[in-house]
Amino acid sequence: MADVHFTNVRIFDGGGETPFQGEVLVQGNRITRVVKTGYGVRSAPVAGAQVIDGAGAFMMPGMVEAHTHFSWNDQPSLESIQRMPPEEHILWCAEVAKRYLDMGWTSCVGAATAKPRLDVVIRNAINDGTIVGPRYLAASQEITVPGGLGDTTAPHLPQPEFAFGAVVSGAEEMRRCVRMFCKYGVDSLKINLSGESITGMPSEMSQFTEEEIRVCVEEAKAWGKRVAAHARSTWSIKQCVKLGIEVIYHASFADEEALDLLEANKFHHFVAPGLAWLINTSHHASAWGLTPEVTRKMGYHRELEAAIESMKAMRRRGIRILPGGDYGFAWTPHGTNAKDLEYFVKFIGMSPMEALLSATAWGGPMMKMGKQLGYIREGCLADILLIDGDPLADITVLQDKARILAVMKDGEFHRAPPVRQTRTTRWAA
Amino acid sequence: MAAPDTETLFTNVRILDGTGQMPYAGSVRVRGKRIVAVGRSAGGVSAGDARVVDAAGATLMPGMTEAHTHFSWNDAASLAGIQTMPLEEHVLWSAQVARRYLEAGFTSCLGAACAKPRLDVVIRNAIESGQIPGPRYLAASQEITVPGGLGDEMLPHLPFPEFSFGVVVNGAEDLRKVTRMFLKYGCDSIKLNLSGDNFVPGADAKTTWMTDAEVAACAEEVRMRGKRIIVHARSCASVKQALRHGIRLIYHASFTDTEALDMLEAARDEVFVAPGIGILYALLNEAEPWGVDRAKAVAMGYEEEWAAACESLKAMHRRGVRVLPGGDYGFAFNPHLQNARDLELFVKYLGFTPMEAIRACTLYGGQVMMRPHELGLVKEGYLADLLLLDGDPLANLSILREPKRILAVMKDGVFAKRPPVAQARTWERAA
Repeated sequence: MADVHFTNVRIFDGGGETPFQGEVLVQGNRITRVVKTGYGVRSAPVAGAQVIDGAGAFMMPGMVEAHTHFSWNDQPSLESIQRMPPEEHILWCAEVAKRYLDMGWTSCVGAATAKPRLDVVIRNAINDGTIVGPRYLAASQEITVPGGLGDTTAPHLPQPEFAFGAVVSGAEEMRRCVRMFCKYGVDSLKINLSGESITGMPSEMSQFTEEEIRVCVEEAKAWGKRVAAHARSTWSIKQCVKLGIEVIYHASFADEEALDLLEANKFHHFVAPGLAWLINTSHHASAWGLTPEVTRKMGYHRELEAAIESMKAMRRRGIRILPGGDYGFAWTPHGTNAKDLEYFVKFIGMSPMEALLSATAWGGPMMKMGKQLGYIREGCLADILLIDGDPLADITVLQDKARILAVMKDGEFHRAPPVRQTRTTRWAA
Repeated sequence: MAAPDTETLFTNVRILDGTGQMPYAGSVRVRGKRIVAVGRSAGGVSAGDARVVDAAGATLMPGMTEAHTHFSWNDAASLAGIQTMPLEEHVLWSAQVARRYLEAGFTSCLGAACAKPRLDVVIRNAIESGQIPGPRYLAASQEITVPGGLGDEMLPHLPFPEFSFGVVVNGAEDLRKVTRMFLKYGCDSIKLNLSGDNFVPGADAKTTWMTDAEVAACAEEVRMRGKRIIVHARSCASVKQALRHGIRLIYHASFTDTEALDMLEAARDEVFVAPGIGILYALLNEAEPWGVDRAKAVAMGYEEEWAAACESLKAMHRRGVRVLPGGDYGFAFNPHLQNARDLELFVKYLGFTPMEAIRACTLYGGQVMMRPHELGLVKEGYLADLLLLDGDPLANLSILREPKRILAVMKDGVFAKRPPVAQARTWERAA
């Protein structure tokens, strides 16, 4: 790969300071030099490096999506995701992986997959170059209980092939299931600890026995894997802290005790609320029959209010809240994920700076890559975006593909910045 | 997917049009997905709004057709090595291979069998919907075989169909059922293994395996649904059996006798033969790193088959039977993307002129893809499937398998591989 020298860019380095004018040199897959300059000043180019004049564009670290489902297929129900045949499903996942990278998500944390091996295969294919996509951590299917969220089998069609999640009952079935996914090579196990109102089991309800959860965590840790939980209910949030489940998705109904527990352990957990799902299911799903009256009855409006209050409280207490979550349904289509940052600003009181940091600085540890990722700093991995506009002034620019001028992952342009073209095309002799 | 290149004018090209006539200088205009003008001089076609590609004398020819393609063969050295690839990986592999074929200049491929039931169909659909880049593709079934025949990879102690490379059937009704299943899945072609193959033990190339009742049951179903049967037929008896049942695309046809040749000649306006000559050559001469040295290849029967195949195919070519390149690339010793080597082997061993070899992968390609009225030629009204080549393939066919010499590939009027352009030195962001 060619070295790249960006000049004349406004650098948001992921540290939280005001962006500064400067230059950035990328050599191999690393950022090797970051220099502050005055406006218009330009240092001598480095020999051999391709020079890109950013013309004042905003440079920021590639974003990290904390709750990704490549295999959700922009359909309105779990059944219609589940029924896609495996061959089509893997091609879909590959297409979506590219779409995320197009939109500036250079890293994604898989939150669950719709068939046992989809996530693992996509991660491997990205890593070996068969397909293009973000850095990826592969998840298991959702592990659930009979009748719980993700058990889409019907009484007259009880075959496990009809289930969206992996349905287990009892500690030993849980252990076997975790071992199977570990054998397949997942990075994390996904366990559904609470309900989900749309499926008929309310979000405040919880599922699994503590013993089953303990076995899941114990077995996952024995394999060096991470556990992530679908945890909307109060009880389930507390279980995550109590049993050491690192990634907590949703956390809508956090009471004082849950908040205290989280605060006391705030560097051991990540919270990704997936607000997009609550907001859009509550208010923007009428085209699919989910009018606000229907979703109010389901309980989503109440949950949205509770989730906003919980997230405001977590923000005040310094608990890490990350963007991403449950994109891939008909009313939360893949690629619109940067809306989460807008929601953070609009609903839970983050400043645009905090919202950007939630997608960058906290992304490194979320990806288990520490401080190598999420910064425009010397020595960090070169995952870089060039933005036309200032996300600190208008966070919504990150939702517009045309405003994302360039995406670099691991030192290579996935999308090179547009250049002025000469009119006639001739093949080089 | 690239946006459609609405209009492109190739100027200053040497047009090798696929009909068999000698190349001539000219220009070619493409609008939408079709060729709209072919001019015999640089000034003959006006530029208008078209993007102009000044080819500086490069050769423009029709995209090539591969008549016997296995996207799902994964460059392993054995059938088992192909078969044991998990489904998800297998789909992504096939998608990647499809893209590479297109970029290598094969704008049409005829699926000759896939390694798991739906792989070919899914890849064809994904190409057609624009989800992945790839050639025009006709999707095949798995190989259908009988117990013990080529493609039955089940071991006696592991008698599970999931372990089998092909679908193993027994009896006419079994064959009818499996044919219906593949037609339900959406296959364009149903593949029958009529003969054995020296590659597998116990079923050598001169053996013939299926009963006429079995073949007839398949043929009846396929005809009813307007699809095509394609056959693996190395033995003389299997070639005759295919012709007797009205099968019009015959793979291999190594062993023939006068009767078989007469039958082929009598059906020459309808029949296509794709011998897959590359794999015979490779196994006989180049497979030592994979444990098949010359002595072993001879013992496996490849020397005998090579000699017989050369005689048979020369005779077919003389008698005006259409013999097409392509076949069985996708093994370790005969890897994907070397496919155009078949053209060189046709010239060297089968008595083809280079022009005849080109015609076999262009004009005949459009015919075997069942679109002779719009595919396979550089001609007004034809689909814009085009290659731009640095050099003259008539003087040196090997440039067709050199990525650097394939300057551009266009399918349906859209560049799958863009011509290299003289780049502006400075990078500037568009304001």
